[in-house]
Amino acid sequence: MNVAAAPLLSPAGNDTAGAVGGGVLDRHALDKLRELDPAGKGGLVQRVLATYTSSLARLLEQFGGARAREDMRELRHVAHTLKSSSASVGALELSALCADVERRLRDSQSDGLEPQLDAMAREGARVLAAVRATLPV
Amino acid sequence: MDSTSSFTSLRADDQPRVLLIDDDEVNLMLTAIALRERGFEVFEATSGAIALEQVEQVAPDMVVLDALMPGMDGFATCSALRAMPGFAQLPVLMLTGLDDDASIERAYRAGATDFFVKSTQWSLLAGRLRYMLRASRTRVELERSKFKLARAQDLARMGSFDWKRGDNMGQLWLSPEALRVLGRNPGDHVDVRGLIRMVGASQRRGLMSMLTEVVAHNAVLATDVSVALFDGRQRIIHVEAEAEFEHGQGVGYTGVFQDVTDRRVAEDRIRHLANFDALTGLPNRRQLIWRTERALEHARRLNHNAALLLIDLDRFKNVNDTLGHAAGDELLMEVSRRLRSCVRHSEQVLEGALEAAGSRSHRTLEAVGRLGGDEFVALLPEVGDEADAQRVANRILDALRTPISVAGQECFVTASVGIAMFPRDGLSLADLMRNSDVAMYAAKSAGRNAAAAYSPHLGGRGREKIELESHLHKAIERNELVLHYQPKIDVRAAKMVGVEALMRWQRGNVLVPPGDFIPLAEETGLIVPLSEWAVKEAARQARIFQQNFGFADSIAVNLPSRLFERSDLVENIHQSVSAYGVPHKAIQLEITENNLMKDLHNVSLSLHRLNEIGVEISIDDFGTGYSSLAYLTTLPISELKIDRSFVRDLGITPQSSAVVSAIIALARSLGLRVIAEGVENLRQMEVLHRLGCGVMQGFLFSKPLPPDDLEQWLQQTVLPRKAPWIGTVSDADTTPPRVLGRA
Repeated sequence: MNVAAAPLLSPAGNDTAGAVGGGVLDRHALDKLRELDPAGKGGLVQRVLATYTSSLARLLEQFGGARAREDMRELRHVAHTLKSSSASVGALELSALCADVERRLRDSQSDGLEPQLDAMAREGARVLAAVRATLPV
Repeated sequence: MDSTSSFTSLRADDQPRVLLIDDDEVNLMLTAIALRERGFEVFEATSGAIALEQVEQVAPDMVVLDALMPGMDGFATCSALRAMPGFAQLPVLMLTGLDDDASIERAYRAGATDFFVKSTQWSLLAGRLRYMLRASRTRVELERSKFKLARAQDLARMGSFDWKRGDNMGQLWLSPEALRVLGRNPGDHVDVRGLIRMVGASQRRGLMSMLTEVVAHNAVLATDVSVALFDGRQRIIHVEAEAEFEHGQGVGYTGVFQDVTDRRVAEDRIRHLANFDALTGLPNRRQLIWRTERALEHARRLNHNAALLLIDLDRFKNVNDTLGHAAGDELLMEVSRRLRSCVRHSEQVLEGALEAAGSRSHRTLEAVGRLGGDEFVALLPEVGDEADAQRVANRILDALRTPISVAGQECFVTASVGIAMFPRDGLSLADLMRNSDVAMYAAKSAGRNAAAAYSPHLGGRGREKIELESHLHKAIERNELVLHYQPKIDVRAAKMVGVEALMRWQRGNVLVPPGDFIPLAEETGLIVPLSEWAVKEAARQARIFQQNFGFADSIAVNLPSRLFERSDLVENIHQSVSAYGVPHKAIQLEITENNLMKDLHNVSLSLHRLNEIGVEISIDDFGTGYSSLAYLTTLPISELKIDRSFVRDLGITPQSSAVVSAIIALARSLGLRVIAEGVENLRQMEVLHRLGCGVMQGFLFSKPLPPDDLEQWLQQTVLPRKAPWIGTVSDADTTPPRVLGRA
């Protein structure tokens, strides 16, 4: 298992680090993931991250399309989905942005929405790049 | 019911099956992994539509459903699932956002069982699922057990009710099953007043005061009530209920109604079958015993007489045998009706009233009952004296005097009645029964159609005798009678010169000797058919002997005098010999000296006619009676048989040889043959021979033998001249001339 050696993750046993990979993924969240597969024989973390990566890529693409069409409903759905899956893998900042966007969309709060959507797109791209980099090709 | 769980379709011990629906693949994957880790079997679906497609095949124990999904969301999926047959009760857990109150509300409306806020706290989710599953199983089992209870109650014609105290007779709730018990439809409303109205007016007051009493004490209610249902049917409803309490106060009752009519009818029927005779409806033996014991107790306590009358129909078997059992039954029913009218017959005994000492209630014990067959008993619980009992017995005999018409025939039925008095003839039921039996047989012996009271000197053998008689009656038709043949021997020629036929009764494995049944047959008149049979059988056997070994002598048949009195005797003998193609002389008739002399006048005509057709007559047991020698000379007699008592004493007492000599001399002078009976040894044989009697019969030669054995005896003993008696006497002996009518 080479997850521990991946560049975005902190060395195992280093509790002090709050975030790894340039602050992309939360270590506690990843620990929680690892608890699901204590022996590590399922290659669980890597499978989750792979699923996340493809899901994220698809959703970001959907996000772009929905913004162009100003499809608020679809934007809200993307935000909702990315919110929880990002939280699961420890992409907390992205998750927080999604939650904010979802709330604004639900409450039809358009003030300050655009900068948040930009931020979400940016953070999404960053997480995608960072996580992709950890996965074997 | 402990076994309930074993019938449940839920897989209690297996992994619970969860159908997990989430459009977010990451969440789906993580939740699935987490649940599998915790012992669930997880099936994943990424949309509501896919889940609905798969749900029947997966047959999950529960569904975990994401509320917010593109396309068909969780709420729509849940509603659709609930609409599918078989999934109305399936536990569904809806996953919602933390701050999403509206979704929670919608989830319940869509039919979700519970909701859960999405989180990565997997243990909480697993715990919630297990709880939900347990609750669901409990609920299913509850439903099932409710259903079973309803079904069981329905089958048992039972239903539950609740009653709460309150104004206006309180409030009543009836389960649908209880309503059905009362003949109403589910949903009908019935109040306490309505229930009470169903009870017959006569019982209503008693029921009301009983209910008031029970309710006042919060006592257990258990009673049977006769009601008229709304549709008019009469039923018996068993009511059983217990008080319910709140804070120590009785607030009402909960219990069941049950229709016990069938059971009660069956119980009554069983009681009736156990105590009454099915054919006549009279009390049976068991009931009679019960009544008699009660009556004796009462008589003992109040010191009065009671009587037991045993009534036995005379020759009832003849009716059964000749007219058939159906006619016999019909006759018994009519007899029962008549007997019943002779006493103050009570169908039912008022049991409670019996306890009241000094009352006249023991009168209700009075009855006629049937012990079985044609035997009845009249129980008179109180009589003044024997004369009272005798009056009832006479009434019974009178009642039977009118002929009874059965099977198109008029039957004359008589009975013999035996009377036993308490306490004179016995203190116990058993003694009274036995002694009334003895008295009854005394009445039968005295000629039937009579009543007799017990007295200690009456013999006890009556019953056996009557039984023997009834069996002897059937002996002929059952071919139980046989003739054995004892040879008559001419000792000088060492040859058989005739046989005497002796009747035997083959009763099962027992060969009954004539002494045990001939006297009875004579007493009862059965001797007539028996003798007629013997003549016919002898003729038949004569034919067989003739064919087998050229038998040309006579077979002697013993006849009672009363047969000689019958005008058809000659005709009967003629028919018997003709039927088998043997000459008349093949049959010889023996009549005892006593019999002959008793009825000399009546018999002589027959003797002449028999003699004319060639049937010879022999006088049996000669020397024991008081023969009128004058008549002897005029009767057409051929042979005298010296009685065995003289033969037995030959060579022992000089008197016996003197009598034998005299008989031989008499016979010689009258030109009659003489034959000695009961010869058992060579000494007797030699003396007889020396005195001039050469024809003998007795165990020395042969005991009476069955026909086949007789033939064998001839071939193995007489023809080879092998017996010890052969050659003992010879022509050379200096004896007086033999007296043998037949040369």
